[in-house]
Amino acid sequence: MKEAAKGKQQNMMIELATFFVGKSLYGINILSIQEINKHVDVTRIPQAPEYVVGVLNLRGRIVTVIDLGRKLGLTPIEADKNSRNIIVDSRDEHIGFLVDRISDVLPAEVDQIEAAPANIGGVQGKFFKGVLKTRNSLIGVLDIEEVLKDE
Amino acid sequence: MIFEDDETVRMYVEESLEHLSNIENDLLAIEEGGADIDEDLVNSVFRAAHSIKGGAGFVGLTNIKNLAHKIENVLGMIRNKEMIPDRETISILLKGFDELKSLINNIEESENIDVAEHIVSLVGLTTASLPVHEKESVSKMIDIHLPDGTLIFQAPQFDIDQAVKSGKSIYLVEYDLINDIQQKNKTPLDVITMLMNSGIIIHSKIDIQSVGTIESGIPSRIPFYILFASIIDPELMPNLFDVDERYVHIIPASPPSKPGYKSNEVKSETAETEAIPDETAPDFLSNPNNSPEEDLPEPSNNTADEMIPDTPAMQTIDDLATDIDNQGMENASDYDPQSSTAQTTLRVHVSLLDSLMTLAGELVLSRNQMLQGMSTQNKRDLEIASQRINMVTSELQEAIMRTRMQPISNVFNKFPRIVRDLAMDMGKEIELSIEGKDVELDKTIIEAISDPLIHLVRNSVSHGIESPGRRSELGKDTVGKIKLSAYHEAGQVNIEIEDDGRGLSGELIANEAVNKGLLTEQQTSLMSDKEKQGIIFLPGFSTAEKVTELSGRGVGMDVVKTNMDKLGGLIDIDSIPGMRTIFHIKLPLTLAIIPSQIISLGNEKYAIPQVNLNELLRIPAAQVKNRIEKVGEAEVVRLRGNLLPLLDLSSVLGVKATFIDPDTGQKRLDRRQTLVDRRSKHSPYFIEDGEEEIEEIQENSVDDSSRDIKDRRFSTKSAINIAVVSAGTFRYGLVVDKFSDSEEIVVKPLGRHFKTCRGYAGATIMGDGKVALILDIAGLAQMADLSSLEGTDRVEEVAQTTKAISDAEKPDKDSASLLLFRNAVNEQFAVPLGLVERIERINTANIEIVGGKKVVQYRGGTLPLFALSEVADVKELPDKKQLEVIVFIVAGREIGLMVTPPVDAVDVSVNIDSSTLKQSGIMGSTIINNHTTLMVDMFQVVKSLNPEWFSDHQEETIAIDSAPTILFAEDSDFFRNQVKGYLEDAGYNVLVAEDGLVAWEILREQVNNINIILTDLEMPTMDGFELTSKIKSDKRFSHLPVIALSSLAETEDLERGKEVGIDDYQLKLDRDKLIESVSMHLKM
Repeated sequence: MKEAAKGKQQNMMIELATFFVGKSLYGINILSIQEINKHVDVTRIPQAPEYVVGVLNLRGRIVTVIDLGRKLGLTPIEADKNSRNIIVDSRDEHIGFLVDRISDVLPAEVDQIEAAPANIGGVQGKFFKGVLKTRNSLIGVLDIEEVLKDE
Repeated sequence: MIFEDDETVRMYVEESLEHLSNIENDLLAIEEGGADIDEDLVNSVFRAAHSIKGGAGFVGLTNIKNLAHKIENVLGMIRNKEMIPDRETISILLKGFDELKSLINNIEESENIDVAEHIVSLVGLTTASLPVHEKESVSKMIDIHLPDGTLIFQAPQFDIDQAVKSGKSIYLVEYDLINDIQQKNKTPLDVITMLMNSGIIIHSKIDIQSVGTIESGIPSRIPFYILFASIIDPELMPNLFDVDERYVHIIPASPPSKPGYKSNEVKSETAETEAIPDETAPDFLSNPNNSPEEDLPEPSNNTADEMIPDTPAMQTIDDLATDIDNQGMENASDYDPQSSTAQTTLRVHVSLLDSLMTLAGELVLSRNQMLQGMSTQNKRDLEIASQRINMVTSELQEAIMRTRMQPISNVFNKFPRIVRDLAMDMGKEIELSIEGKDVELDKTIIEAISDPLIHLVRNSVSHGIESPGRRSELGKDTVGKIKLSAYHEAGQVNIEIEDDGRGLSGELIANEAVNKGLLTEQQTSLMSDKEKQGIIFLPGFSTAEKVTELSGRGVGMDVVKTNMDKLGGLIDIDSIPGMRTIFHIKLPLTLAIIPSQIISLGNEKYAIPQVNLNELLRIPAAQVKNRIEKVGEAEVVRLRGNLLPLLDLSSVLGVKATFIDPDTGQKRLDRRQTLVDRRSKHSPYFIEDGEEEIEEIQENSVDDSSRDIKDRRFSTKSAINIAVVSAGTFRYGLVVDKFSDSEEIVVKPLGRHFKTCRGYAGATIMGDGKVALILDIAGLAQMADLSSLEGTDRVEEVAQTTKAISDAEKPDKDSASLLLFRNAVNEQFAVPLGLVERIERINTANIEIVGGKKVVQYRGGTLPLFALSEVADVKELPDKKQLEVIVFIVAGREIGLMVTPPVDAVDVSVNIDSSTLKQSGIMGSTIINNHTTLMVDMFQVVKSLNPEWFSDHQEETIAIDSAPTILFAEDSDFFRNQVKGYLEDAGYNVLVAEDGLVAWEILREQVNNINIILTDLEMPTMDGFELTSKIKSDKRFSHLPVIALSSLAETEDLERGKEVGIDDYQLKLDRDKLIESVSMHLKM
């Protein structure tokens, strides 16, 4: 999303699937999402990193479910009737993000997305591709690969 | 390089690799044949090189084409018997093919790789075997003209000369693509194929340019020139070619051509369709997109001599030889058969695909049936459908598995080359034989065993087989033999690597291990030879005096073992020093679906792979106190006399432990700190009678027993469930909450976020759709810091012996198999296991007292019974409903000893105190498992009970007059006195010696008095083997029979004993048989 890209993609639109982690709104490019489901039957894995909720069986594939709250350094997400798994495909592996609540799908022009500041609501800026300002909120657009990077 | 037609290139690569796949072995076979050439074999290699060359020209890969061409030249000379395929030639060819393979594997870069080195070697070969005046021809191109002088193309003179030499005539045929081919409903490929059947196509060209440059008239001809060599007479040619006579030109044998080569004359429009042999014609030629008319990238305007810019082809062969030699050395060590990229495509037989299709169809039908049943709510339909789906699924699974099966020859075929190269480098002569190439294994396993097998074979070559000089000194055939074989057995694949080399010396290995600090001398001194050989699998061990680049490669045998463990395989050594070594490997057929035992911990289920599972053990609540102990920080369980370290799965994984409250049936948190921590009203030691016995559930009967576990679980108070598992050098008990069924599970990988979790080997999906983790037994042990040697039976023994040594004054290395039992509950006794016939359980109610003796009806006969209290001063047997009876055969008759359980067999080192507690029927005492244990002297016991049983023997011994003298060598005081005692009882004179050397001295002094020699095998200073071989190789004594005595009858001892000349083999405490054997040998 640097200058060169901006010029070419003048009117390029993307759609962001937005969701809540805690009180803040985040977005992921909808094209990178495989599906969103409400799986509660998660097998927890002892000894796994703290941010891993466990694994679930998605039609025969083992999917790692990650607590996005913990991963971003926020409060852990409580699995309740609103919480959902957003399944994304990262490096040939299905990974689920457990989020508090799903919100709307927002169309956004690529050049509307601004570079992320060093810190967004207590979350490190490196996790974001940028920030989208809407009339009444600020949406952090997540960089999935960065979030899922091995530590 | 970017290819215009990826598909064509991909097909070319596949075809070429297939051609190359068996080349090595063919070449090696050619080498073996030497001057006596098998033409079929050479032809097949030639064709392979030829097809690769042809295809490369076709897709514009000049580098590959040139290299293949040079290889082809050499092969052509071999075929024409102008060159004898010696080692060097074959080496160069092999290197050439290696390079070809790597070029083809890396096709995008192939044009940028320098192959000059190989080309020089190959050209060197061809020139070296040619008469001097012909040498030039190797790199020379000659112009081919039409009779009217038009230059058609240039062809390598070498090829033409070769053809002429083999009695062929050279023709230039001018086909017309329009009249001769298209209008006759042929394709250029038909023509090529037809020609290939009757000769060789040296060169071909479609002259598109000539079409364009014809100035007058419509182009009515598209000439397609073929330079063809055949033995067919010129008169017949027009018929064969099916063209007008005027278009067939005969090229004179020594063409009037200008020597030299003009590189730019080959036009870019030229499509080179190099000759392609019939059988191996690559499929891609039939691809219409690739008809020769199509423009092709990059004309081939550098040919061989440009590739060798500075090195003259005339380089003397001596120089070349040294060069090649050096390269050879480098390349041999660089040569890594694994370097080829992993296979991404697979060839599957069409019939298998068809059956898969059929099954898929079946599955769809069954699904329809099921859906129909669902909608109509017809239970019967649903049942049928589900049965059908069940069946189809199993069949489908099997069929899909079959597609993954690959013959083991994929790995085995690498070995002739590896062995040859390595043997050459090391100056050894080795003959490799391979059996069972067709045995099939899962693809992943094939890939994974390749490295370990290569390591083992390299080991055999470099360490196993001796140098030819050494072998002839030893009187062996100078050619060493290595045999690789694979076969199916009991649903597993067995692989054996056998060499007839120096074998593994247990002693040397043990010394090395001690020197390296891997083991202590005490540990090694207790090991059998086989166990010592097994030391090579310990991490950090290597048998080579120095690790050579060739066989060492920084990989140890421990890695081989670890790899085998990962695959769920077993590796075993069978070696006779100086004779042979056999590595025996057992592997499962597949890894994707594995049988495993499901266990649970809390609400979660886990799977333990069946290969890691030895047995399931359940310790009833009442016995926990007795069976589970704390040693230092570690908890251990007693299992048949050995201590097995315990790991609590919940604490290793950091899960809160739960237990099921026996009163309420509810799950509760377990607050115990350790398993031993238990408030118990039971006495800390022996439990009272009537308690339930320890249930050991063998894994084979899991299906039946799993229900038992559940049933009993609620009737006992929180029993402890232990899965006894082993992986590599680890063996331990894993404490779990509950055992479930054993199931076949499908292994699925865990995501990358779990790479820090060492305890899991993957995950699987259970029938209920939930995910269960597969436990990694070795990983768990590492997590718990269980050191690998701890917990093995051997170490346990070592620990006990060390204790025994510190307790006793003098170390005694004799180890014996004993059967432990109890008389009264707290009296432990032991008898040598070798004396025991079997163990029975009887109801006390069935015991009859007849003629003052206790007997029981048994298998249609009467078994006399006795209790120890009848012969020795021990307690009475407790009054129980059931008793264990140990059945012995003494003096040829059965007798039963009534005892109290537990009855347990142990292997311990016996250090018997033969004075303190000795009494009638008891030969002494020892300490086993921290209990004072009385050793029962069965002969004395039976003798005092039934003296008449022994009368036969008495008579026999008396019959031999003048009391024969026995020389008896034995280092253990106890055994010496015991055996001496009963030999003297039997009427012999006995001379004793503490070790072999003393016995030898005695023998030399009193040779005339001694009639027979009895010897222990394990003795200090001089052991029984050495003593026997000294006796048998000395004329003065060789007539004397030698009977070896041992406490453990190990087959390898038996074999070794036979070799040195031991006449018979007896157990130390089997008095009857020993006396029988002595008297038999004396009579002889």
